[in-house]
Amino acid sequence: MQAPTAFRQQLLAAIPRLRRYARSLVFDTHAADDLVQTALERALAHWHQFDQRRDILVWAVAIAHNAYMDDRRRQARLPLAGAARHDAHEHDDGRALPSAVELQPAASPDIGLRLDLVAALKQLPLEQREPLLLVTLEQLSYAECAEVLRIPIGTVMSRISRGRTALRALLAGHAPHASAHGLRRVV
Amino acid sequence: MTAPDDNTLHAWLDGELLPERRSEVDAWLRDHPEAAARVREWAADAAALRARLDGVLDEPVPPALADVVWGTAPALAAAPSVPQVGAPASWLRWAAAIAVFVLGGAVGAALMWRVQAQPGALAAGGHPAAEPAWVQRAAVAHAVYVPEQRHPVEVGAQEEHLSRWLTKRLDVPVKLFDLRAQGFELVGGRLLPDASAPSAQLMYQSIAAPGASGASGVTGASGNAATAQRVTVYLRKPDDATPAAFAYERQGELGLFYWVEGRSAHGGPTGYALVGALPRERLLALAEVIYRQGQSTP
Repeated sequence: MQAPTAFRQQLLAAIPRLRRYARSLVFDTHAADDLVQTALERALAHWHQFDQRRDILVWAVAIAHNAYMDDRRRQARLPLAGAARHDAHEHDDGRALPSAVELQPAASPDIGLRLDLVAALKQLPLEQREPLLLVTLEQLSYAECAEVLRIPIGTVMSRISRGRTALRALLAGHAPHASAHGLRRVV
Repeated sequence: MTAPDDNTLHAWLDGELLPERRSEVDAWLRDHPEAAARVREWAADAAALRARLDGVLDEPVPPALADVVWGTAPALAAAPSVPQVGAPASWLRWAAAIAVFVLGGAVGAALMWRVQAQPGALAAGGHPAAEPAWVQRAAVAHAVYVPEQRHPVEVGAQEEHLSRWLTKRLDVPVKLFDLRAQGFELVGGRLLPDASAPSAQLMYQSIAAPGASGASGVTGASGNAATAQRVTVYLRKPDDATPAAFAYERQGELGLFYWVEGRSAHGGPTGYALVGALPRERLLALAEVIYRQGQSTP
């Protein structure tokens, strides 16, 4: 049975926020839209599982999250070639190594060691970055965030706390972890 | 008060604390400017993040993604992430997408007009929705009986055999839901033919506001049916016992919530459709009450 029109309209309305979420996860516009497309296809295939009492965005974001994790697992299983293709900037622990491309020259030389916001975001481990984005950017509640990521709410809380503190430290120009390599001068 | 830990401060910023705890932290932050400054920095980072990434929200939905949703994508999966910029086809795609939207809007408007002008013609072909056929029958039954002044129901709510009769004929438990707390009272019910077996319709009517019924002395205690809102609950024995989550459909001014309960408190699986010309939220509130009452033992 095909998805009803009302469901398709709801899904269509959720696309802009799904795209924002995907882009904050994979950064590259085309890769992000690929992720959104996968999520939309899965949502349509399982439309009858959607409970209309729930927020469709939370449901769709959970699907996108699962699709992203599937993709990462698939890439991780592939030797070398796959690993290179997969988000070349990320290590297995999810912590990003900034590359020259990411660290765009800052607008003002005064900024010195301060990292660009997105570059700083990339340096956060995925397990901290995702809850932080879901709560800060997508304005999900901790409970919804826990549901999407399938982790306990206490874990959401501590990861947001650590993630936000780490982001602040990166933006302030000192490394949260002893990773000096993350603070290449960008001017 | 002891200093709140970082987790608490973040939860405070995210609006996750209970009101009492929240005001405690409010007070503590007023007394601790350094901590307040830290929290302000987090808030500023959040604002910067949103400012940086909110731009996506204003971008038009790429036609390829809209195509996926409408099921009109011709093997898109084969060509992911090909930049469309500058490709001659991109203009065509845009034009096509716009045409689809305009056409969809026109069809929707036409349908709306038809439904409003002719409430009995809900089942008229051409509706793009693909909800189950029985949901369509529920909508038609609603449209047929709701305008009825003299014979809206077959058996009135006051007759105590109503529930027993319908339960026996449908072979599913027909419970008379109490929606009075939501402002609707039971008018009664009727037996209807479904595809292969009987189904039932329960009709509810909005309770006249106190004072309104007293003022309209002409119509008397029965209330003014012409102005009362009516909603109907359609029940049937489902084709299979697979529970289905709440689904929502709108047909012109009519909203429909439908779902299938695998097992109710009484035993058998039951398909429900709630139909009414109400805003989605009000209809959902009614649907949730019906769902809860269907779950509980009488």
